[in-house]
Amino acid sequence: MSKIMTVDVLSSIKGAQPSEAVNKLFDVIKNAQPTNNNSFNNNHNNGVSLNDLRDDVVIESSAIEKQIIIENFPKAKNGYLVVSKVIEE
Amino acid sequence: MKSQIKQLHQQLVNKDISCTALIQERLNALKANTNNTVNSLLDTLALDLAAKVDAKIANGDTIGLLEGIPFGIKDVYMVQGTYTTASSDLLKKYKSAYTATAIQKLLDAGAIPLVKENCDSFGHGSSSENTIFGAVKNANNPNLVGGGSSGGSAVNVAKDYTVFSIGGDTGGSVRQPAGYNNVYGLKPTYGRISRFGLMAYASSTDCVGPIAKSVEDIRIVLNVMSGKDGKDQTTYASTEISEESLSNSKDIKTVGYFKNFIESEAIDPKIKADFLATIEKIKAKGIEVKELDFFKSDILVSTYYTLAMAETASNLSRLDGSNYGNRIDDKNLKESYAVTRSENFSEETKRRIVGGNQVLSQGFSDEIYLKGLALRDSISENFENDFKEVDIILSPVTPGTPPKIGDSLKDPHAMYLSDAYTVGFSLGQLPTLTAPQGTETGVQITAARNNDELVLKFANFLKDTI
Repeated sequence: MSKIMTVDVLSSIKGAQPSEAVNKLFDVIKNAQPTNNNSFNNNHNNGVSLNDLRDDVVIESSAIEKQIIIENFPKAKNGYLVVSKVIEE
Repeated sequence: MKSQIKQLHQQLVNKDISCTALIQERLNALKANTNNTVNSLLDTLALDLAAKVDAKIANGDTIGLLEGIPFGIKDVYMVQGTYTTASSDLLKKYKSAYTATAIQKLLDAGAIPLVKENCDSFGHGSSSENTIFGAVKNANNPNLVGGGSSGGSAVNVAKDYTVFSIGGDTGGSVRQPAGYNNVYGLKPTYGRISRFGLMAYASSTDCVGPIAKSVEDIRIVLNVMSGKDGKDQTTYASTEISEESLSNSKDIKTVGYFKNFIESEAIDPKIKADFLATIEKIKAKGIEVKELDFFKSDILVSTYYTLAMAETASNLSRLDGSNYGNRIDDKNLKESYAVTRSENFSEETKRRIVGGNQVLSQGFSDEIYLKGLALRDSISENFENDFKEVDIILSPVTPGTPPKIGDSLKDPHAMYLSDAYTVGFSLGQLPTLTAPQGTETGVQITAARNNDELVLKFANFLKDTI
């Protein structure tokens, strides 16, 4: 749990480094003073009420949708997706 | 400019033109264009649909207002069976398996899609230069950028290649290119139009937005796309905006503008002078104008980018080449992810993902991300108070005129700052329209949340006033 992860690992981007252009933006935030200090998104609550949730049902994809999903497989064998060897750490 | 949709509809009904001829003419213009607006043409689909409209007309059947009207789609929307690349290497061969709700509603109304339009990759940019299809060139001057991220869409409308186009606006991506190419572009209230099938950039500000040459065409297209959708639970039910309701602007009594936007050192002197002249013309019509206080531009830009980067880092984490996309295999799964993402994302996209992961990580989130959220609350509160005082907020769209192609890529921080006038309204989730009037890059008209009608009403008033 205490392992330190660098941004290149967090981002899965080789050799990635924080950029100066973006750090300049963050410096402004660090020095800014919000008028309130809560961070619960009070003023733009886009949550859905419990009464308004959509039905929890499984919707079957159409045949054409399934076919396109398979077409998009980067690598396939006998109609199945092939993935790289999974490693365990 | 009158409604092109109505004009073409009448020509089709009167049999002055055939739908097939109309579609073919626009397809030819798109194919020949040198502004780099096209990622892919939907010619077969469009001509098939046009033939059906012609058959209906020949048969004496009534056609709907949007039936046979050609339109464009920013290449971040799913349209079943079409390539949806987000102008990226990663998805350059990706085909949509389904169709976005907003686009489906237009298809159901009979509108004909012609083109998937060039834009900044994943919406990451303000110039439409961050694309694998070549920089979009401005409709008025090909040496200048088309604006972004919906640059291809705005240029297509400005050049009459499409009657309207559907862009996406997260921090100004419809309004800014609309301003740079002198057309109308609307970012509706967040949640008015379903985001289902729009590739997610920053989900809490992503909006579907129409671009067109008249207020009336914006109104028609907005009405068709609006509405609650079970596939996007942030959507809400809205009432249709009638044409009649836009003709009367008597209920607009007070207009405000942000003093600090105009007094900023960054604003082009001509844009400033033209904006203030517009304010005088509005006053002369008997409308009260109030100066308003607002957050400094650098705080607006930093708050927006902090939250947008955090959201895009999260949204784009799914793009790892496993199930779709241009996978590059390496020695194991983790290496494959990293190589695929390193090789296929643009520099700007990588910069934003890394920035997002920086602010979301332990030790940074309190100091930056959570503070960004608190600032967003303060900004929303500021808007709520403003709209107790004024009906409409008017502002320039951009501090400057469109840069030369190549300049924005050299200085990303300057590019971020050029979004100073658009990002605040995105954070507030407010309806904002760019009208191609008042300054060289237009003016933005903003109203309180869910009051998109008032925005269009004021745009009509402005059209007759200046």
